[in-house]
Amino acid sequence: MRSPFAYTPRPGPLQVASPGAAVTYLGALVAVAFLYSNPLVLAAVGVAATLAGCTAGAGSAVRIALRMGLTLALLIVVVNVLVVDRGETVLLRLGQAPLLGRVDITAEAMAEGAILGLRAGVAMIAFAVYSACVDPDRVLRGLRPVAGRSALTAALISRLVPVAVADATRLRDAGKLRGPAAAPLGRAALLRRLMAGSLDRAVDVAATLELRGYALEPPRRHSLVAAFSPLWGGQPFTKRSRYDRRFYCVGVVVLIAAIAGLALGADSFHAYPTIEVGLGPATVAFSALIVLSGFAPRRRDA
Amino acid sequence: MRRGRGPAVAIALLLAAALAAAGCGFGPGSGVGEVSLTVTRDYGSEQMQRVASDEASESDTVMRVLDREAEISTRYSGGFVQTIDGLEADERFGHSFDWFFYVNGVESPVGAADFALHGGEAIWWDYRNWSAAQGVPAVVGSWPQPLLAGYEGKSHPVALECRGAGAACGAVRRRLDAAGIAPAAGPTDDAIRVLVGPWARLRDDPAAAQLEQGPQVSGVFADFTPRAGDYQLQGLDESGAPARNFGPSAGLVAATRRFDAPPVWLVSGATTSGALAAAGLLDTIRLRDHYAVATEGGQETPLPLR
Repeated sequence: MRSPFAYTPRPGPLQVASPGAAVTYLGALVAVAFLYSNPLVLAAVGVAATLAGCTAGAGSAVRIALRMGLTLALLIVVVNVLVVDRGETVLLRLGQAPLLGRVDITAEAMAEGAILGLRAGVAMIAFAVYSACVDPDRVLRGLRPVAGRSALTAALISRLVPVAVADATRLRDAGKLRGPAAAPLGRAALLRRLMAGSLDRAVDVAATLELRGYALEPPRRHSLVAAFSPLWGGQPFTKRSRYDRRFYCVGVVVLIAAIAGLALGADSFHAYPTIEVGLGPATVAFSALIVLSGFAPRRRDA
Repeated sequence: MRRGRGPAVAIALLLAAALAAAGCGFGPGSGVGEVSLTVTRDYGSEQMQRVASDEASESDTVMRVLDREAEISTRYSGGFVQTIDGLEADERFGHSFDWFFYVNGVESPVGAADFALHGGEAIWWDYRNWSAAQGVPAVVGSWPQPLLAGYEGKSHPVALECRGAGAACGAVRRRLDAAGIAPAAGPTDDAIRVLVGPWARLRDDPAAAQLEQGPQVSGVFADFTPRAGDYQLQGLDESGAPARNFGPSAGLVAATRRFDAPPVWLVSGATTSGALAAAGLLDTIRLRDHYAVATEGGQETPLPLR
């Protein structure tokens, strides 16, 4: 079964846009999630990432990421309230616990855990949208001029991991076909065979790469300068899309607004010693802007 | 056959009883006693707030009591105090200023958020320049609390050690009696020691000898310098530099601590008469909110000098 996080080609703006534009847009949302601790802003980033995913047709990836993010957030809250007993508002006293010492469940530790969890969840949604909407091959092609060997390694991994999974499935099926009287196939034996097979494949791949001249110096045009040549009117290395400008603009606007918001105090949040959440005009305005940025992948004719 | 609910209810009740016995429960818990809170700045020279008594609960920490009584902000996820009533820890004129706290006159080995209270503690927050002394392990400003109630949640016996003190020893004993402190009959390892005598007789003690290594080691802004075969009490300023030479009849009351050993109180002077003068300082009004106090001619001088 195909993973909901796997890239699916669609004619949507986010899928059609060049990887740089998509990464700028989604990366700006993730950057805001890590720059800000205000729950309203974090929630706005979550809404924007969800909107972006849904309008780009990656609803199932967003749904699963939401579920996983919620589980992770809950786990973070539970761990935080158990290991951190700071804060003024004691809700529950659990006495002395081995390793943890005195355990006081405080509202402040809960709030801090919720913020950490929300941040993790929001980042997961953004990465889910990225994974489902951005062609990994185009990303690797875009990376090739900047870091050729890293791009090659990543490309090989992205191809060989599914091959290894398919190998494992075939080996397991073959084991089952030996009949009910045969000794059960242990995981260690399966893993050993899989490892041996993957080493064989690696040798084959290395020989193929050698024959195709991958050991040689890369062509001149594969340089850092060539990678950024579209910025000053050069021939783009990857095909540009008519949506690129939109995503670049939205990403840059979000980042500039984030920096301006920090300067204006839009990130007003303190968990300790008591919970203080700033909901001033700067915070509300910035959050609204972030939510609106979630509509960037929307088609004009939609 | 229908299974009864009895065992389940019994187990639940037992669990609840065990949790309650282990100190578990909802909310901050019941009161454990009164604590006092003092907030000062610049080595106690200016008082910002004093709360004579605040009922502490089972879950109270130094930080929670402070947060109840003052406007504060924290850093490092609530672990350290950044501002109290708007006065912020920072660097000014090349000197570092920060908030420090003492519970029963002893510097805490843990942060305020992790210091649990048991009732009866004297909490003292002071905003000071710590360029000369990063740590001041013990202070005298909470007299008689450390000797009366111990420190870090444990009571300790008090050992009075008189070394050539003459009348000063009796004076100190009377002051201790008046404060309700009964010195232990013999020396014990975990006792808070009160050393009484002229400096020439006290300086052999390893804890007392820290004074001669400066405030960065002893936390005491005073020194006894050799002079004409005897010693002279010298008061230091906040930067640890000599600021005043006292006469031969001057006395000093200070507290220090060596490693993790219990604090050592020094009631001393350059001479026996100096030690006697120092003994007269042992009362709440003269020592309150001071790190150490020198006296000469009936005039008290808080240390460090400003």
